This record gives sequence, C-alpha cells and structure tokens, in this order.
Amino acid sequence: MTGHPANELDDTVHQRVRLGILTIAHEARRVEFSYLRDSLELTAGNLSQHLGVLESAGLISVEKGYAGKRARTWVALTKAGEAALAEEITQLKLLISQIERTAISAGRGAQRADGPAADGPALGLQGGASCFP
Amino acid sequence: METMTSWPAGDPYLLLSNARELAHRVRREQRATWFPLLLLAALTLASVPVVRYGGHHLDCRAVAGAMSCRVYSDAEFVYWPVALVLAYVAIAAFYLRRSRARGLGTRVRPYAIAGIVIAVALTGAALLELSDPAAGQNLLGLHAAGLPGRLATPEAAIGLALLVLARAERNRPLLLLTIGYLAAILVPVTFAGIPDGIRSAAWYALPAVVPGTMLLLGGVGFALAQRPLRPVAS
Repeated sequence: MTGHPANELDDTVHQRVRLGILTIAHEARRVEFSYLRDSLELTAGNLSQHLGVLESAGLISVEKGYAGKRARTWVALTKAGEAALAEEITQLKLLISQIERTAISAGRGAQRADGPAADGPALGLQGGASCFP
Repeated sequence: METMTSWPAGDPYLLLSNARELAHRVRREQRATWFPLLLLAALTLASVPVVRYGGHHLDCRAVAGAMSCRVYSDAEFVYWPVALVLAYVAIAAFYLRRSRARGLGTRVRPYAIAGIVIAVALTGAALLELSDPAAGQNLLGLHAAGLPGRLATPEAAIGLALLVLARAERNRPLLLLTIGYLAAILVPVTFAGIPDGIRSAAWYALPAVVPGTMLLLGGVGFALAQRPLRPVAS
C-alpha cells in the first residue's frame, strides 16, 4: 500500500456507469430501472450487467414489483453502497488535489528552468486530460 | 428527462463533475417546491375570513395584581390544526405520486413529519397556555406579544417546517425565501397610525395577508422556475 489515492479506489465503484448508478440512487433514495437507463444512455442489457456487478458486491438492492399492470424494477443503495460511494468521492477529491499539487510544483520547476511561464491555466489537467492510463 | 451528453473514461475531474451533474439533475427532478408554497398560501389567505367571522373570546383575569387579557378565536383552534395536517398529507401524497411517475424516490417525508409535529405541538401549547391562568398571551392566535408569541403562530409554524423542506431538498432558493418569510413573520405588527375605520379589518387581515402573499409569490416563482422545458419546435 503506497498511500496514493489511486490505490484506494474500489474498482467496482470507480467506473463511470457504476458511479453514475450509485450517485443517482443516493440522491433519489430509490430509482427505477428505466430512469437509470435513460439518464445514463444505456441499453437495458448493459445496465442490467452493471446492476448485477453492484448487487453482487452488496452495494445496491434490487426490488421488482408492479405499478398497476406495469412491471417495475427499483434500485436502492445499501449501507455498504452509501459507504462505498462516499469513499469513492473522497478518494477522487484527494486524487484531484494531489494532481493539482503535482502540476503546480511541476509548473514552478519549469519556471525555474525556463524563466517566466506563459499565461495559461495554473492547473495542468483543466483541459480534461486523463490521469489514468 | 434530460440525458447525459457524454461520459468520461477515468479522469477524476470528469468523473466527479459528472457525478455532481447527475446529483443536481436528480434533485431538480425531485423538487416540486411550488406545490406546498401555493397550498400553504391558500390556507393562510383563507384563514382571514375564518379569523374575522369565527367568533372570539376576550378572557381577562387578575394575575399578580394586574389584569391580563387574551383574545382568541374558537375557529382558529379547529381551522389551523386540521388544515395544516391535511395540507402536509396532501403535499406528501403529491410528492410521492409525482416522483413515482418519474421513476424516483422522494425526500418529502421529513418535511411532512416535521410539519405535522409542529402543527400538533403548536395546538398542544396553545391549549396548555389557555388552561393556565397565569399566562397572559395567546399562543395560537395572531395577537401574542414578544418573539416567543410570534414564533408560536401558524404562520411561523409553516416557515419552520419550510426550513426542513429546504434542508431535505438542498434547495438554497427556498432557504433564502424561508429566511425572508420568517423575518417578516417575526417583525412585530403594530396598528398605530392606522385609521380607526380600517383598524379592525387590518387587525384581522394584515398578519395573514403578508405571509400569505409571500408564500403565493414564492410559489409562483418556483412554478415558473421548475416548469418542465418544452422542446423547441423546428
């Protein structure tokens, strides 16, 4: 364990669709399958796969029922899911602050080597470059 | 319903900003702030004729060598507890139905519970106060003096419960509106300078018309702000 925030990320949660599912379920308390599918622009099959991963990890509970004659599937966060989401957000924030510190110190080093820096954003990753391979 | 336009791969900036965007979107779709505001505005404004024509008691007693009088309305004792409890039940039902139709849960339960508890507590406090000869102020009606008296009015009870809704919905505009509303409620109402001919009407109407109008304007504002966006015809 190096202590780097990237090492603290949970692979189950640190995935764009699954983080989106957990975020929506957290805010909504309970969310219907079709809302998730439409919001995240997924196919039903793709969403089912992600829900299966999260349910197997014990992060969500899936409840099937009926609203009138319509079959509905509701998704809710478990306590473990709440904790995992909070941890992921914390680690993402830590990672961002670490990247920004690194970018700032790298900028200072470049300034020392090359003289005054050209005008531009102080933070190296503001353009959206990925910090993961 | 809005949909995501793009998804990042693993960039923490984009993951975090998209999570925030999703959270804000869900909150926006859960909110129906206009409904409780308009309903409570209607109740507040409807209380004016209830107070005016509901019959009053003037109860004067000698307390510690001085005369202490209170004015209270029988109709108000019935109107406000019943109206507030029914209103919170209606608000909870509206939120549940609306959010279910959208495929979401709701955050209205703490608000409805807090509203009912405050309404019941207010009525209990008023009844207790009326049964206590040493008390000199009417807790339920519009005529109590001092900050505690003004806090123990139905209008203030509505405002206190709205603070819970603002917290539950994480709704900053509602929080600001509620703070302004409570500030207006807690300002002492005086009738000095009002001509005798209209003083009686002002005494009945003013304490309800000001908060009622604030709730009404707030409700209209939120209804406009939260109306669903219609697709532009091409």
